[in-house]
Amino acid sequence: MRTFKLKLIYPKWQKLKGQTTFNLPPHGPVAFAATLPEWVDVTFTDENVEAIDFEEECDGVALSMMLSTQVKRGWEIADEYHKRGKLVMAGGISTMLHAEDMVKHVDCVFLGESEGRMEEVMQDWVNGKLRKFYNYMGNMPPIESVGPCRRDLYKRELYNHKGVQMVDLFHASRGCRFSCYPCAVSYLGGRKFRPRPIDKVVEDMAAIDNNRLFIVDNSLAQNKEWEKELFTAIAPLKKKWISHTIEDDPEVLDLAAKAGAWYVYQAVYDTSDYIKERVKRYHDYGIGVEGTILLGLDNQTEDDIKRLIDFLGEIDLDLAEFTVMTPFPHTKGYDDLLRQGRIFDFDWNHYNAGQVVFQPKHMSPERLQELYDYAWKSFYADESQEQKMFRLFCNVALREMNEGTYRPRDRRLANKSFGRDVDRTVRNVNL
Amino acid sequence: MKVSPDYYDEIFQFMGEWDMPSACGLKIRKAKGKTYVIVTELYQDNPGTSVTYAGRKLAEQICDAKGMKLEDITYIECNPNTNSKLSFYDEEFFEVDFGSQERPQYRQLDREEIMKFAQK
Repeated sequence: MRTFKLKLIYPKWQKLKGQTTFNLPPHGPVAFAATLPEWVDVTFTDENVEAIDFEEECDGVALSMMLSTQVKRGWEIADEYHKRGKLVMAGGISTMLHAEDMVKHVDCVFLGESEGRMEEVMQDWVNGKLRKFYNYMGNMPPIESVGPCRRDLYKRELYNHKGVQMVDLFHASRGCRFSCYPCAVSYLGGRKFRPRPIDKVVEDMAAIDNNRLFIVDNSLAQNKEWEKELFTAIAPLKKKWISHTIEDDPEVLDLAAKAGAWYVYQAVYDTSDYIKERVKRYHDYGIGVEGTILLGLDNQTEDDIKRLIDFLGEIDLDLAEFTVMTPFPHTKGYDDLLRQGRIFDFDWNHYNAGQVVFQPKHMSPERLQELYDYAWKSFYADESQEQKMFRLFCNVALREMNEGTYRPRDRRLANKSFGRDVDRTVRNVNL
Repeated sequence: MKVSPDYYDEIFQFMGEWDMPSACGLKIRKAKGKTYVIVTELYQDNPGTSVTYAGRKLAEQICDAKGMKLEDITYIECNPNTNSKLSFYDEEFFEVDFGSQERPQYRQLDREEIMKFAQK
């Protein structure tokens, strides 16, 4: 069989104002690429770090999209390729969330997880029988079939800031047993926690040419025994990693720290002693904490939000990330706000978690927007986001030096930031 | 986040968005010559599409299965109380008018209105 040349694209999106931008190597496209048959010759362009060459020779185009803010750009890209007579397939998280819209703009919509499915799809494509839909929603492939990502497709120098390599994204499980109000993961990946076999995780992780990872699983705190087994198994790799929540259990936290936990994203949803102690317990084990603070929930008044922002100063967070409630389709938040007639903006480019697209319960949208801006400014008033990140970076570098795993920065890229020349006179924000 | 069986008489299996196998709680009541269909979101026990997102598609499947016509029923969505600490999971009822508009119209009902016809 002849080779099919597939151009895989990760569309760009507008970054949030005023925030330090770090472009991480995207996970979805290379996880998808790993499921393609061997006879598919795939090239990858991440439009966030390089321009798309629309004239590059290819037999077809695949769009991999994670964010709602990518979908409209994806449609523009599809239009460009349609002008050139190319068929375009779309898949990924935001394709699933916005499939009704997506189908109007691309030739093929792939819904679900692609392991074990792509031989059929690509055969259809080669034979001129590409279908409008390949629907595997709710029909998950065996978790054992999830293999290593095609990280060889990354142009590594583009994910480098002043000589420092960005973390690689990694997943140890899929699905989520929780049904959190603003989250669509259980719709996308199923309501069952599906941990990958530990030996596969270790093998996959060990093969990544990067000592710093971001384990992107929705929450590791879903099965304590698996979590303990996982941390014990990956400890010898001496990787350092970021993750979402870890089980609030001394034994698990100890194992996590020994396994290389660098810092975690921890939701800070109220001003309780529980939150304060939760953050302290992470710190007690040498694990940093980036607080994730969602603003604009129905149980938050203006005073509540201000109190929450003040509270952050008391709990010694290493970093904080603020978002405004955003009713992404297929979340309970979307259902509730839709029924109540409170969503006033359905422009997916505005669904960036930094722009208010709904009527808050206790204030105007404008006031919530102001409080969101105030939260960012307030938290980083004394020390910028970059400075705080640098402190976290120093922590991990010191640990690596002690363990003999530290890799000095790549001096050849010292004047480059994500493929662009560093302008030393301007702060590196909003690239 | 288990939903109390008090909210439904049966679990109704339906094909959700993109034919995803989905489930909701279902109660059908007749009162004063009207047929009330109450669908309840099951959260973790619904493997697919939410009742709100499924909307008209779910209503039509219930009508087909139960030999009813959509225009003859009063269709009500229920957010059950799950005894969560979060207020988002408090009990709520909405009457849904699928009408002719792009999106359905919702009217929130209070519990007293529901109790008039929801009791067996």
